[in-house]
Amino acid sequence: MAEGFDIDHLAKLARLSLTAEEKALYSSQLNQILGHFQALADADLPATIDDARVVNEDALRSDEPGLVLGAEAVTRIAPASRDGQISVPRVVDDES
Amino acid sequence: MSNVPSDWEVVIGLEVHVQLHTRAKVFASSPWGFGKAPNEQVDPVVLGLPGTLPVVNREAVEKSILFGLVVGSSVPEHCSWDRKNYFYPDNPKNYQLTQKDFPVVVGGQVEIELPGASRNVMGEHKFIRIHHAHLEEDVGKLSHAGSGSLVDYNRAGVPLLEIVTEPDLRSSAEAEAFLRSLVAMLTQAGVADCDMEKGQLRCDCNVSIRRRGADKLGTRTETKNLNSISSVRDTVIYETARQIRELEAGRSITQETRGWNAELGRGYVLRDKEDAHDYRYFPDPDIPTLKISRETVARLAKLVPENLYDRQRRYVEKLGLPYTAASVLVNDRALAEWFELAVAAHPTNPSGIANLVANDLLRDLAASAGAAGSFDEAVPAQVSLSSCPIKPAQLAGLVKLTDEAVISKQQAKEVFAEMFKTGQDAAAIVDAKGLRQNSDTGELEKIVQEVIADPAVAKSIAEYRAGNEKAINALKGPIMKRTQGKANPVLIDQLLRKFLG
Repeated sequence: MAEGFDIDHLAKLARLSLTAEEKALYSSQLNQILGHFQALADADLPATIDDARVVNEDALRSDEPGLVLGAEAVTRIAPASRDGQISVPRVVDDES
Repeated sequence: MSNVPSDWEVVIGLEVHVQLHTRAKVFASSPWGFGKAPNEQVDPVVLGLPGTLPVVNREAVEKSILFGLVVGSSVPEHCSWDRKNYFYPDNPKNYQLTQKDFPVVVGGQVEIELPGASRNVMGEHKFIRIHHAHLEEDVGKLSHAGSGSLVDYNRAGVPLLEIVTEPDLRSSAEAEAFLRSLVAMLTQAGVADCDMEKGQLRCDCNVSIRRRGADKLGTRTETKNLNSISSVRDTVIYETARQIRELEAGRSITQETRGWNAELGRGYVLRDKEDAHDYRYFPDPDIPTLKISRETVARLAKLVPENLYDRQRRYVEKLGLPYTAASVLVNDRALAEWFELAVAAHPTNPSGIANLVANDLLRDLAASAGAAGSFDEAVPAQVSLSSCPIKPAQLAGLVKLTDEAVISKQQAKEVFAEMFKTGQDAAAIVDAKGLRQNSDTGELEKIVQEVIADPAVAKSIAEYRAGNEKAINALKGPIMKRTQGKANPVLIDQLLRKFLG
């Protein structure tokens, strides 16, 4: 299959564990989707910004602080928490 | 700074992340600030909960545009936001909202000043080009505890302007000078506070080396998350030496992400977030492209303060200030404006005013306030003039009294201290303390003539008459002594010149 992507790499980036059948299925579906986009990309359109997706500054919010959830509510929706913080498996960024 | 062997050249580019001075977050209305209990400044939009939509904060956009105007960038007609996708717990919704293709600031430059040969001498000036700056959201803060990590999302969603330079910097000293200049510009325009201790300014530092004269850039490394000017300087010195060592040993440089251990003074390779460079950016479907009106740009342009080096040139060239005083004043906009108000009240001696402001006033303000933290450990934190007991016109009054020789420079110090303590006018203090100098010409003439007649000063008189101007000073001491320091120095000088003719 001449696809412009690597299904194993994509699955890894998306944190998905796929079976061989799923890989084949999603590869073919992704190819179809990319085909649609290729058709769009091939269309001869002027290279301008889409006005329909442009807003002016009226669409901005004013710098007024609003309500917060509170640490109790934030931690309640997390699988695990401790002392008002969300608890996750150890991620190491520092010198080791 | 000249630890680089002359046949190697170091090339540095910086990515400076600055938290903008706003009250609410950049895409949400949650407030933010330093020192709050964990997760107390979080709302559903920050967490990206289902059904929420981000809306861009006007103030964050305007502060970004203002920065663009400060560095002379052309403000684009449009800007837009993209999703940068990655899984990491500091990021509550698995993507960060940022600007990839259409950032809010494009181009511009920052003037820098390198250290001179001594403190009194101005160093070389250079311009460092800004590639672009984009407005994005900050991420949460991780701390590591035992076998797990803890996440605080208070910082997530704080407006962050990432300022990216061209690879124009050529030494650790230039990197340092750039950051000083940038911090001064950001704070003076009110764009950001740049408080290092609160993590409001963090820096990624790209370093590569090449043979001097080579066109092609060498392989670079990126040292991430530096939170002080000294860390940036030390990283450049360390990374330059390391890369030279590698290349001279016949090895090659690996393009890698590194960290910096400020305590141990050494860098280390970061274990990369898996596939961290594959962010699969795409335009954020929730935030429409923003059209930036020219009216807004014109309104913000009026808020751009005088560039600090333009101000410094004006002080030295037009007001005749010594470089040392000028360079201190221009670093702090409020202080410079305070100084200018004093000059307006007494325009004939800007240097006299500058010296009092840059030395005595700053010293006493710092002592009375206790300095707060700044990103730059080498430069004292900005002092607060709002609580200054002396008003600009009052300081001008003190300098005027000295210029008119009503009091001596020595006495001016004493009066200044009293003014700082009480907030009284200089003239009132001078009168209350009976400091007005003796300007009785008749009595002074007699003393001057007696001193001139003293054989002990004959040699100095001969030297003065032979053309050595400075020799006249040897006669002033004895006259001052006889008047118990109350004689007017200007009058003494006039009388001496008259009698020695």
